[in-house]
Amino acid sequence: MYKDYFKIPLKEIRRRKLRSWLTLIGIIIGIAAVVSLITLGQGLENAISKQFQALGDDKIFIMPKGGLWGMGSSEQLTEDDLDVISGTLGVKLATGMGYAFAQFDFNDKVHYGFVSGISTSPEERALVGEAQTWKVREGRMLDRGDKFKIVLGHEHTKRDLFDKRVELGDKIKIHGKDFKVVGFLEKIGSPPDDESGLIPIDAYADVFDAENELGFIIAQSGLGEDSLLIAESIKKELRQFRNVDEGKEDFEIQTPDQFAETFSIILDIVNIVLVGIAAISLLVGGIGIMNTMYTTVLERTKEIGVMKALGAKNSHIVYLFLVESGFYGLGGGLIGVLIGVGLAKLVEAIFTIAVGPAFLLIEIDYFLIIGTLLFSFIVGCLSGISPAIRASKLNPVDSLRYE
Amino acid sequence: MLKDYFRLAFRNARRRKLRSWLTMLGIFIGIAAVVALISLSQGLKSAISEQFVSLGSDKLIVQGAGSGFGPPGTGVEVPLTEIDEKVIAKVKGVDIAVGRLVRSVKVEFNDEVNYGFAASIPDELEKIALVVEANNYKIGSGRLLEGGDKFKIMVGNDFAKNFFDKSLQLRDKVIIEDKKFEIVGILKKSGNPQQDSTLVIPQAALREILNLGDTFDIIPVKAGAGDSLVLVAERIENKLRKHRELDEGKEDFSIETPENILATLTTILLIVQGVLVGIAAISLVVGGIGIMNTMYTSVTERTKEIGIMKATGARGSQILLLFLFESGMLGMFGGIIGITLGFTISKSIELIAFQIFESFLIKADFSLTLLLGALLFAFFVGAASGVFPARQAAKLKPVDALRK
Repeated sequence: MYKDYFKIPLKEIRRRKLRSWLTLIGIIIGIAAVVSLITLGQGLENAISKQFQALGDDKIFIMPKGGLWGMGSSEQLTEDDLDVISGTLGVKLATGMGYAFAQFDFNDKVHYGFVSGISTSPEERALVGEAQTWKVREGRMLDRGDKFKIVLGHEHTKRDLFDKRVELGDKIKIHGKDFKVVGFLEKIGSPPDDESGLIPIDAYADVFDAENELGFIIAQSGLGEDSLLIAESIKKELRQFRNVDEGKEDFEIQTPDQFAETFSIILDIVNIVLVGIAAISLLVGGIGIMNTMYTTVLERTKEIGVMKALGAKNSHIVYLFLVESGFYGLGGGLIGVLIGVGLAKLVEAIFTIAVGPAFLLIEIDYFLIIGTLLFSFIVGCLSGISPAIRASKLNPVDSLRYE
Repeated sequence: MLKDYFRLAFRNARRRKLRSWLTMLGIFIGIAAVVALISLSQGLKSAISEQFVSLGSDKLIVQGAGSGFGPPGTGVEVPLTEIDEKVIAKVKGVDIAVGRLVRSVKVEFNDEVNYGFAASIPDELEKIALVVEANNYKIGSGRLLEGGDKFKIMVGNDFAKNFFDKSLQLRDKVIIEDKKFEIVGILKKSGNPQQDSTLVIPQAALREILNLGDTFDIIPVKAGAGDSLVLVAERIENKLRKHRELDEGKEDFSIETPENILATLTTILLIVQGVLVGIAAISLVVGGIGIMNTMYTSVTERTKEIGIMKATGARGSQILLLFLFESGMLGMFGGIIGITLGFTISKSIELIAFQIFESFLIKADFSLTLLLGALLFAFFVGAASGVFPARQAAKLKPVDALRK
């Protein structure tokens, strides 16, 4: 009995092959669009959260409030603030950084980029390097005792910036002062970073006349400590030291988790908008199923009449047609999911070649697949309800006579 | 003859009312989505360019070579000075050049601390008048800043309303960087978000509280009537380069014209629009497939009819046209309803956005091109979807068809 509910609809679907395929294509396109967009959005989010994880969840960033990344703010952090932060319970290590926009002068050409002043002590330097995901590609990192030495971003190894490649040992002028190039960094992927340079914090203070001014401070919590809690205690200590009331802080504290959260909220909104628009095509596909089902009911009026004359109940007829439209949804969903995931993988592959591997990280989400299949089945059934009811209400005598 | 095609197509579409409606429903949902998205993004684009025009197509901005990251003046290598301002003011074709500072400052009010941007206004009366004219500052309540005002400020409408939990009133005192300032004027809402959230502060006072020398962050320039902006920008670049003793290609300042900025913005908007409309257009494809399906069904149902037509002398091309007209009509009627619906949707979004955000940026823009384009496109989608079924119909052999 139950087997018949499946056998008859399948046979009917196969009877009108062209029409069934066209109906399926409608659903396939909609599902493929939705699935690939969701998967890509998720992939972007994965990639970003992985980047934040690479920062390490034991890092805490402290910067002056106002401005961006400590730039353009009227407030400053100082060496004393750094001492306070280093002395906070649970903080393993803290280091300050200067951050300025400067003129790079080489080969009689100039360009403007960011210069970071960093500590040359090995542990502190390592902390900064980890927090900024810097890796040396050529030469060496800044070392203790270095003064007018510089490590340059990856773009400097190309001809574009100064019409000439910068080589190790070359002299480059930063803000009018000569610096010797000792190393180059790996490509990071964002132009402002790849065009920047790192110099010792002492040289930074000299060149930019920024004695005792820190753009931001990076702290590392001890092993097994909760960064959020430590961020709170740094906030409290710093508030006391700088003599400001709660809620009136002139500095900001952020952990990688918080950054990641902000990003994922923005991404979620974008994703919802895009998927929402793509879902319109699913609606249209559903209407296509409804249309096909009405046509089927019309064509099979006589058949329905025969079934009813032989004792089929209204509910039997409803089920028969509902299963058929549900099949359209499910079948379209199945193929659509395959195409959608394939499409997302294709985009990932293209992106990896064009931009680099860091931007998309596609993971196949089984919940998404099962959810989509269920959803497409429901779309199919919903579209079939009204045609199925119409079929079941046909009067056997009239339908037998229908030509 | 042509009339017959229309009549027949129309009659056939009406014969299967439910099916025709469902088919059109598919098209009009798609068209409505596309039309609404295009008109909203077009509206956004024209709102933005309008703002640039009101900002002045005769204005350009000189600033120190900067990162383009963060507020103007941020991390500039060599700041602009009062002497630069004088040099620029003397350039041929320059009508007004008045330097300003734009800085992030700490503002306290009612025990609440916030960080925002303050823009300076000169202290001399003539120069104030120039800035007021150039920015089209209009006073809502109180008065404009005057020469001799020092610890007085005027604020934009949104700043007064929203910057602090409690809205600011005339003569309220706020503390900026630990100095007390009195609000003497609240500007009229201009619709330009940047201007409405501004805080305008006398130049001397801002320099004093932030310990700044004779520097400027930006020098907005208004070109005289009849002078080409590009030409004036070139002259300023030459003069300033000479004055600062720099070689060509090594400028430590940049000159931005509204066209520059507008071009960048327009490109970004175009990309966003392309992505959104592209995704929305998927539903049109699905709708088109719906038409194709309907037409195939229609051909199957009417096989006998086609046989009769052919037997009485109709040619294949006539049958083809008949079915193409029918599917094109389904597309076009779907398009007409879709355009109406799309128009309604984007208008309501505009109204809602205005009610909630008081935003002038979200605006439905309807050009005749969009209307005609969408209509033509809908017809085209319909006709294209009908090609295969119509060809099938045209190729039927009269004998076989009659026997069906």
